[in-house]
Amino acid sequence: MGVLSLLIFLPLLAIVVILLTPGRGAHTLKYTALTTTLIQFLIAGYLLLNYQTGTPSNFADISGYQYVEQLSWIRLDLGTLGLLEIDYFIGVDGISLPLLALSALVILMAIGASWNVTKSRKGYFALLMLLNLAVMGIFSALDFFLFYIFYEVMLFPLYFLIGIWGGARREYAAIKFFIYTLLGSVFMLLIIVGLYFSVQNPYTGGHTFNMLYMMNPENYVPGSFFDWVGNSYQVFGIPARMIGFIVLFIAFAIKIPVVPLHTWLPDAHVEAPTPVSIILAGILLKIGGYGIIRICIGIFPDSMAAANWWLGLIGVVSIVYGALNALAQSDLKRMIAYSSVSHMGFVLLGIASLTAEGLSGALFQMVSHGFLSAALFFLVGVLYDRVHDRYIYNFRGLANLMPQYTAYIAIAFFASLGLPGFSAFIGEAFVIIGAFNAETLQTGIPRWMAIFGSLGILLSAVYFLWTLQRMFFGTTRLKGGDRWGSALSDLSPREKLVLTPALGLALLLGVFPSLLFNMMNGTVLNLLDLISPFIFG
Amino acid sequence: MEEFVTTISTRIDEILNSIPLLKVELALAIGFLFTLFSSLLFDRFFKHASFVVSCLGILTAFVVLLGQYGITATGFSGLLLIDSLAFYSRGIILFTLLVANVFLWQEIVDLKKEKRAGDLYSVLMASGVGLLVLTVTTHWLLAFIAIEMVSICSYIMVGYFSANNKQAEAAVKYALFGSACSAVMLYGLSLIYGFTGNLDFAQQSHLQGLMTAPNAMLSISFLFVFTGIGFKLSFVPFHLWAPDVYQGAPTSVTTYLATVPKVAAIILFARLYASWSSTGFYFSELTYYFLCVVAILTMLVGNLVALRQTDLKRMMAYSSVGHTGFLLMALIGYGKGQQDVLLFYILMYSLMNLAAFAFIAVLEKAYGDTNLETYRGKGFLLPVLFTCFSITGISLIGLPPTAGFVAKLLVFSDVFGGYQNSSDPALLWLLIVGALTSVISLFYYFKIPLYAFLRTKRSPEKEQNRPVLSILYVIGIGLTILLLVFGLFPSLAWAILS
Repeated sequence: MGVLSLLIFLPLLAIVVILLTPGRGAHTLKYTALTTTLIQFLIAGYLLLNYQTGTPSNFADISGYQYVEQLSWIRLDLGTLGLLEIDYFIGVDGISLPLLALSALVILMAIGASWNVTKSRKGYFALLMLLNLAVMGIFSALDFFLFYIFYEVMLFPLYFLIGIWGGARREYAAIKFFIYTLLGSVFMLLIIVGLYFSVQNPYTGGHTFNMLYMMNPENYVPGSFFDWVGNSYQVFGIPARMIGFIVLFIAFAIKIPVVPLHTWLPDAHVEAPTPVSIILAGILLKIGGYGIIRICIGIFPDSMAAANWWLGLIGVVSIVYGALNALAQSDLKRMIAYSSVSHMGFVLLGIASLTAEGLSGALFQMVSHGFLSAALFFLVGVLYDRVHDRYIYNFRGLANLMPQYTAYIAIAFFASLGLPGFSAFIGEAFVIIGAFNAETLQTGIPRWMAIFGSLGILLSAVYFLWTLQRMFFGTTRLKGGDRWGSALSDLSPREKLVLTPALGLALLLGVFPSLLFNMMNGTVLNLLDLISPFIFG
Repeated sequence: MEEFVTTISTRIDEILNSIPLLKVELALAIGFLFTLFSSLLFDRFFKHASFVVSCLGILTAFVVLLGQYGITATGFSGLLLIDSLAFYSRGIILFTLLVANVFLWQEIVDLKKEKRAGDLYSVLMASGVGLLVLTVTTHWLLAFIAIEMVSICSYIMVGYFSANNKQAEAAVKYALFGSACSAVMLYGLSLIYGFTGNLDFAQQSHLQGLMTAPNAMLSISFLFVFTGIGFKLSFVPFHLWAPDVYQGAPTSVTTYLATVPKVAAIILFARLYASWSSTGFYFSELTYYFLCVVAILTMLVGNLVALRQTDLKRMMAYSSVGHTGFLLMALIGYGKGQQDVLLFYILMYSLMNLAAFAFIAVLEKAYGDTNLETYRGKGFLLPVLFTCFSITGISLIGLPPTAGFVAKLLVFSDVFGGYQNSSDPALLWLLIVGALTSVISLFYYFKIPLYAFLRTKRSPEKEQNRPVLSILYVIGIGLTILLLVFGLFPSLAWAILS
């Protein structure tokens, strides 16, 4: 068992320990979860340090991946349908490894935020660990079947975490979240089945779910449903490969989420408990972006090259619409949820630009938004824990009461709105540069999209600064009066411990973006090699 | 007469040679007789006597069945057909019958009535004989007798315990609806016999007769025949009896009805479909499109109506209607000569159903009610039971990492393979509706964890009843584990089936 498997399945051990813990042993549960995630974080760090950067290779070839493990898992002889091959096949490249490390960090923050959970702790931490397992699996899987299993398994713990530990409308939010994701993923299953029929393992001749084989046109069975050349299949008048791309894109676009498939997000965030919001914003939204890069571009580069104008448009609409919505919110958590929609729009715009700058920027933005949004939701949670209210207009002049908290939230806001020196600036700037250059490179993204994208940065400055002004400056006036005044104590050491690494990282990556770019660069170039024949061909 | 005399010895020889082919059914029939006697004679000394005897009967039949592994043969002038499909489906039927028998035993033990309940075991055994026969024949004569045998046993079982109006209503409804459907089917069969002069639907002469028959009359007679099968399989629009009967019947009988006869009926229908859809003539297209349309409608209606149910047994009735639609979809693959996918789905569906009903039976016994409202907030009192129940629900939806997912994936693959070859839009719609109804089914299967875990109790009353560890509880948990194991390692189940 390799080190990557250890990273994925360590939480399973934690689940067993948690479930076997007798009684309500609160400390055992918390520390088991914490220790497990800490070990995972160290493993992720080890993987990062030992990752060999700058090895140009092929996106569709196993040599482009590291820490690869491949075991044959399921072999079914389906007679006329051929041999079904499913492998336990995992590995990471410059795209998935930073996200894996990010996941470990965000889950660590989430456990820090769950320190005071009292309601059925055992189930809570067990579910959190199950979610942890699924997330790690998603970013590592290189077999589509395996990916799908982790992808679906992720939904159950989230449903229960939102549904049991959530707020007043938790049932609605939980099922809405579940339905949205499942709707995307069942149709994804049909595409997976189609791909399975179309792709053959070149060595054994069996049908396979291996994603890398799916990325190579040579492995497609001539005349199969998703065959590349001379494919005459149509579904409702749309060519088969394009429909495959669209269905997969919708499945992942729901996760990102893009307008108009975003409506589950504000509900889920508002009702979810703070730690779940942290994971939701910090990791799960990234799964959408990751899926588009790894699967939509990887397997359907031809369709991606044909459709990227629309993707760019959706990205721009998400940026502007999300920002305008954030401006109109009076619930702090809802505002941050909409700001996520806006910031994740940059990811889509960067991907759609199909330029090296744009793609790197999108990946950078994903990582940066990961820990920044986690920090933001944690900060909202701090306020909510104390007074059980987060309505913006119910607070005024908090800076006088909670100076440290104000300092932290100001840093987080400035970092998120794209102030130079912080990571979000790098991500967003690269996306805009990529989108701007796209017209020169003729990838199909017009300049006005880049301009509207920058409008999004402006709007995010407006809503963040306006919120800062409304809640923290001026004379102290609270809706709850003195009772709130005494409840609103400043940050505790534990809270600072959770926040400092995230904000520190935002600054570090803002100043030395090459730390991350170096790691991703090789893989991004590989990816561009994969798709460029279709852009210019 | 002269002619008869010369052939009589060869005929007797054939009959004698065919008898070994029937030995599984004979073993079960002998088990039935023993059960009947023991309920008359021994139950007063040892009250579990007939249960033990019936279990032994089923197990003996199973052992005898193992001896038929790999045999392909026909007997009794083509009335009987033994092949691998018959082998595996009878294996599944005997297994589910045994579990249903345990359900029945638990029900009778809990009932603590002095009414002689031991007879029910023999009724169950008798229905078992009919079910086995259904899977080994392509001859309408034998099939009809077997269907009637199963039906009559089912009528008795549904009504046997009826203590209140609702249960009596269910029993009467079932018997009336059932006999009407049988009568219609018989009429359809007589028409088909008129066209073909041959009751064996796998015979060439039978198909040739159908090719030349007038289309209008043929359509009517086919619809009549499908009515009878539709009743047994409870596909739309012949599903209306199912919810009332499932809810009104004792849980053990519901378990039996939802699982065992369905296996046998789908096998018969599979054979019929494979034979009737094999030509390029009008009747084949009729069969094919009938199947597609009915599968789509059944999936939609079953799952959509299930959304509104608040009673677990009623909900499971609609869920089973929805799954029938999916089974019909699996038949299309079988028509192309792919039997293992169908068998895999049947096996997994039986396991899921048995697990779900095991939990329902345990809960009903403890709380005396199957309304979801009763289970508000009970998840924290019974975490193991409701976790397993939720996993079973996940499997019924068809989500990984459970066996239900693999089964669904295989059926999708099967149908997709057909779509890739023929580009038939009907198959595409089957796939889309199949995927869509999986999402719909999430709503109602997740009502179980919704009530058990997400909703809290209205009033903090004291808990008096808690389910005790019973054999059904153990069965339920065991089956849930099996569902997870088969979900992660489907090769294990696949190896058994092929």
